[in-house]
Amino acid sequence: MNHRKITRRTVLRGLGGFTVGLPLLEEMVTTRAHGAGRKQPVPVRAFNLFFGLGIPAPLQNEGFKGVLEPLEPLSDKLLIMRNVDQVRCDHSGLNAHFDGASGAFTATAPNGSAKSGGASIDQLVRRAHHPEGLPGNQLTTLVAGTFFRRSRISRYIHSYNPDGTIAASMQEKPRDVFDRVFGKIILDGNGKDEKQNRLKRSVLDAVVDQYRHYTGANSPLGQTSKSRLKDHLDRIRELEQRAFALENQTGEGAHIPPLPPRSKLKHEGQADPGGQGIEMKLEELTEEWRLMADLYAMAIRTDRVRFGSLTFLAAGERIRMTGDYHYQGRKIFTFDDAGQLNASGDKGCSHEWWHKFSEKGENKALRAHAHMKMNEVAYFLKALDDENSLEINGKTILENSLITISTESGDGRHNNVKRELSGVFHAISGAGGRFKTGEIMDIGAEGIDVYNTMLTAMGSKERLGPTQRERTKIDRIRA
Amino acid sequence: MPFHSKVRDQLKVILPGLFLVLTCNPLLSAERITKGLLALYDFSGTDEVTIRDRSGVAPAMDLKIENPKAVSRADGVLNIQGKTRMRSLKPATKVLNAVRQSGEITVEAWIHPENTTQSGPARILSISKNISERNFTLGQDGNKLDARLRTTRTSKNGLPSTASKSGSLKAALMHVIYTRSRSGNASIHINGKQVAKATIAGTPSNWDGSFYLSLANEASGNRPWKGSYHLVALYGRSLSGDEIQANFKAGAGAKSEELLARMRVADQARHFHREVAPLLVKHCLECHDTATSKGKLDLSHKAPAMAGGKEGKVIIPGQGSQSLLWQIVADNEMPEDREPLSDREKASLKKWIDDGAHWPVEMIDPLAYKSGPNANNRFVRRLTVPEYIETVRGILDVDIAEQARELLPADLRADGFSNTAYNLGVDLKHIEAYSRLASIAVQKMDVGKFAARFSSNRSLTQKPMRAHIAKLGEWVLRGPLEEHEINTFRGISTAVAANGGNFDQAMAYILEAMLQSPRFIYLMEQQNEGSTPLPASNYELASRISYMIWGAPPDGQLMQAAGKNELTDPAGAEKQVRRMLKDPRARKRSEHFAYEWLHLERLKHINPDKKRFPDWNNQLAEDMMAETIAFFNDITWQQKRPLTDLFNAQFTYATPQLAKHYRFTEVPGKQPGTSRKNDKLIRYDLSQIPSRGGLLTHGSILTIGGENASMVTRGLFILHDLLRGTIKDPPPGTDTTPVDSRPGQSQRGIAEMRINDKACGGCHKKFEPLAFGLERYDGLGSFRKHDRYKNLLREDGELTLPGNAKRIAYQSSAELMDILAGNERVAENITWKLTQFALGRPLGGPDIPVVKAIHALALENGGNYPETMIAITLSDLVRIKPAANTFPGGK
Repeated sequence: MNHRKITRRTVLRGLGGFTVGLPLLEEMVTTRAHGAGRKQPVPVRAFNLFFGLGIPAPLQNEGFKGVLEPLEPLSDKLLIMRNVDQVRCDHSGLNAHFDGASGAFTATAPNGSAKSGGASIDQLVRRAHHPEGLPGNQLTTLVAGTFFRRSRISRYIHSYNPDGTIAASMQEKPRDVFDRVFGKIILDGNGKDEKQNRLKRSVLDAVVDQYRHYTGANSPLGQTSKSRLKDHLDRIRELEQRAFALENQTGEGAHIPPLPPRSKLKHEGQADPGGQGIEMKLEELTEEWRLMADLYAMAIRTDRVRFGSLTFLAAGERIRMTGDYHYQGRKIFTFDDAGQLNASGDKGCSHEWWHKFSEKGENKALRAHAHMKMNEVAYFLKALDDENSLEINGKTILENSLITISTESGDGRHNNVKRELSGVFHAISGAGGRFKTGEIMDIGAEGIDVYNTMLTAMGSKERLGPTQRERTKIDRIRA
Repeated sequence: MPFHSKVRDQLKVILPGLFLVLTCNPLLSAERITKGLLALYDFSGTDEVTIRDRSGVAPAMDLKIENPKAVSRADGVLNIQGKTRMRSLKPATKVLNAVRQSGEITVEAWIHPENTTQSGPARILSISKNISERNFTLGQDGNKLDARLRTTRTSKNGLPSTASKSGSLKAALMHVIYTRSRSGNASIHINGKQVAKATIAGTPSNWDGSFYLSLANEASGNRPWKGSYHLVALYGRSLSGDEIQANFKAGAGAKSEELLARMRVADQARHFHREVAPLLVKHCLECHDTATSKGKLDLSHKAPAMAGGKEGKVIIPGQGSQSLLWQIVADNEMPEDREPLSDREKASLKKWIDDGAHWPVEMIDPLAYKSGPNANNRFVRRLTVPEYIETVRGILDVDIAEQARELLPADLRADGFSNTAYNLGVDLKHIEAYSRLASIAVQKMDVGKFAARFSSNRSLTQKPMRAHIAKLGEWVLRGPLEEHEINTFRGISTAVAANGGNFDQAMAYILEAMLQSPRFIYLMEQQNEGSTPLPASNYELASRISYMIWGAPPDGQLMQAAGKNELTDPAGAEKQVRRMLKDPRARKRSEHFAYEWLHLERLKHINPDKKRFPDWNNQLAEDMMAETIAFFNDITWQQKRPLTDLFNAQFTYATPQLAKHYRFTEVPGKQPGTSRKNDKLIRYDLSQIPSRGGLLTHGSILTIGGENASMVTRGLFILHDLLRGTIKDPPPGTDTTPVDSRPGQSQRGIAEMRINDKACGGCHKKFEPLAFGLERYDGLGSFRKHDRYKNLLREDGELTLPGNAKRIAYQSSAELMDILAGNERVAENITWKLTQFALGRPLGGPDIPVVKAIHALALENGGNYPETMIAITLSDLVRIKPAANTFPGGK
């Protein structure tokens, strides 16, 4: 593997010479230093971490001896929740790849092919703590992921507004994340000519004025459309911040982080040829994912991002994987999905192992795939739990944040809705001592009640799901 | 009969309950006009303190009689004998909202003034605060009427006023109407005759939301009026001369019972669409649709639902508690093994039956009730990337296609199309791209020459620059600018002047700002947040029509028609649409529709197993796409054939490579035809080739099944995208792993096993037989009679279509194509898809009656693409802005 971990140190060392660059040295300072100087409290953060295809409920029962093994080093910082029921997310006519993925973090059935049934956890936490929006130098939400199945948006996007629309656009390549978080906007004419800069600013002021009008009290628009234009206005303000407000802070001393290499993997339309799947080497996948995970973690550590979602492989992902999988020096499995399935096209993809799951069988290939996924999930979590992630209270970002980990299904056979959407794997971090950690807990409750209990603990008054529903608190997850 | 007249008649037949509300033709009867009605007081009843608003338009704006001793009521007449005032219980918000949005108002009264001497003016009707601050007042000033309307160009007191001629008002029963259009034309009519007209410029955007409605006095109590009221009505639009006549002819005693009865029907229709149909879909149709009809009960169609099932009638209109349907859901006996109905759903079902079980559609279309009735039509729509490119081209005559495609993120598909409004959000990349593209576009143009189109004055000073901005902005932003917008853009020119810049530089920066304006990037409209439907304005119609027909902004002629208020007249709109359909942009737009509907984008990413398909290459995929587009164009534009001919027309187009793939080398009747690159695309007559003919025999469509030619995927494509059907989850206990063919068992055999399986067959029989006729085409569309295991492949089958339990047998793929081409559901689905693409939003249950009317009308005129587009653009889905939380076509 050629991937070299991005740390704050490597970022600060910088390479220089790129047209896009980190505009602000101050932002590269970890939140600990930031907080120490200004006595700011540890920020509230909420992220949704999704992995595709799920872990069949019987395998979850094996604890850290089975496919959950890679999470064991983080076990004291996570609460693993088994037996969480997402059956209410079932949408007649669709299988659990889509239903379950749409229900992850929202606890509601999808609404159309590109909308969720309601808000996701991270967005309600954001609304509770930043009702007037985030400061201009922070992204409202960062949605990113390494995934290849694209037929429906809910398969890979996991942050949603209350109206079910996506909370932010997906950044699906490491360079996209880099540009989105650290890139400096270069506007035409936004150079050293001060006069031209002033006039460009005047243009932007005029544009902002118009969006203000359309989001204000005298707007001719209804609430839904106003919210849409409010998003637009927020993005303009971010552009202003990047293009003008920060321009004076890019002088000497403002180092440029390394521009990620171009992705070697297929993306966008090429990544999903009509659901037929694509070939992929394990090393290529993990290399790109780890770069993505590092950049996302860096965005959190530099306090550019407090809310959002990260996806490692989409729901119903179709990949024909090859390559040896090693964990801690021991070989776990040799992936060769098409060869082992003796099939091409979609029938030669790894997700067929989920269809073939048998409680009495060995499920070797499925276990290896699931183990590998947990290893990559753990990679991201560890990136928020190292020395660079220590905060003012002596805890790591992982410990201080709410990171909800979930997936699409508790079973992969598509043959029983109840079984398929029951026992969906969930794990959460402690969120600054709000939730218990260090346990594997059998919840035996609906995801909607778990999520709403989490929202209560996170200070949100808004709730997921139908307002008339009688709610059950799952207080035993709270610290 | 002109087409637009047919639209009205068609709608009248199909929507009897709604027709009066929305499309009433005043010349047909002396019924009162109700379109745009906001409040209606007929003074019936004997309540001593309250006068009821009988418009039926929520919220009711009842009036309180503040001094009951000063009035008497009898036979629908309110006599004002002393000083009093009738005042609304809350501010007149529904009037305010409607008038602000439409820019129009009509106030009507049947009154009998006590004398012709009272003045002040004495307030007949007023929405005001005191004697000097008002939104609107109609008063008596001696023997004439005086009307004051506040706009951005009149004073807070509504001055200058509009007054009727001296002597026009008498102490007798009189019908008086004040009406004012968005363009500022105001008039007063007495007894059907115009007695005053004036231009009241500006907009009512500055109306004060805190003012109450008062009758017989000013809000401050010092302008009393005496006489009798027989009827008072307020409308959120201007009434035409014919409509004024109709209300006059209806008379002072026009009772509102009939109107209310019709409105009740509309209310019941709304309740059905919003509450009842969705709950039937969610809880009942899985087992009780036409195909399954457990217990012989079919709740998906009106007639069988009312007839009942094995247990007899389940719905007794008017008697909810006696109806078996309600009883068994109330007791949670049904749905079986499913989540019971919520208390709200149960109550809703009972109310529906109690109210007479009004069922306004023939069949409940499950797909149409997936989302709430208004879930998708409240989003302002951003221009898609192709629309943005065409808009810059149309407005500035500048081509930035290459840069726009590079800088703007691609639009993602949602509900089958990439122009679905709710999914057209923005990210930072959009903002950056809009900014850079604005700059690029302006750099590419001759700004001075462009600006000179609007004014020859090149001064940077206040007055000429404001006028210049107003004219230029009206063109760039697709409608007149408001004052605050002129101020905003004027700010840029002053900044340029302050920095020593010249006129051209000022215009360049102003254009940059305009190109980033929400009015440029979005299809901006005055959205209707009120409780009554409103007509779209002329400029709104111009944009709606042009983006539907062209995917581009209005041209000069369309803008001119909007400026002359010609588009709110269906005849004027139809004339424009017919003109626009002759423009090459209309063809381009239709190609875009076909590309998205059939998901041809998919062809760019096909990557089959090279061992099995060594001859596949990307050029072949492009040729397949070109075949389908050329075929679509031929049917749609060259021959203008019915759109259903897309499924069985006996010709196609192919490049030499594709012809070889299809084995066309020996095809007789080869004709030279449309050329593509290097004249490679040739038209082929297929009348002697039974294996080909129609979209479903195109490689572009056949590849949908993947390299294994999945019958499930192909069948689902036909079910979902051609028949608008739905299907439930795989049933418990089924292994859903795809099964490959093997010696002795082809995909057809495997499909039949699934169909015969008790667990799978219930659903698979609904869609796999749709693909039986395609078995002889492999995953890449090649025709063969045996598969790779030497199994003989078949092409016969038997299918059922959504909403119809009748089985239809076919012997060949050609027969299957004929069945689809002749099927009403398929035909209607094309109209449905075209309408969805035109509107940029998924359609819902409440849209069904209007879409049916569009379809019927289009069929009557040939069922081709141009006539379908005309029917769409002239329908209420385009011309009317539905009320918030209600449905299009209803109140």
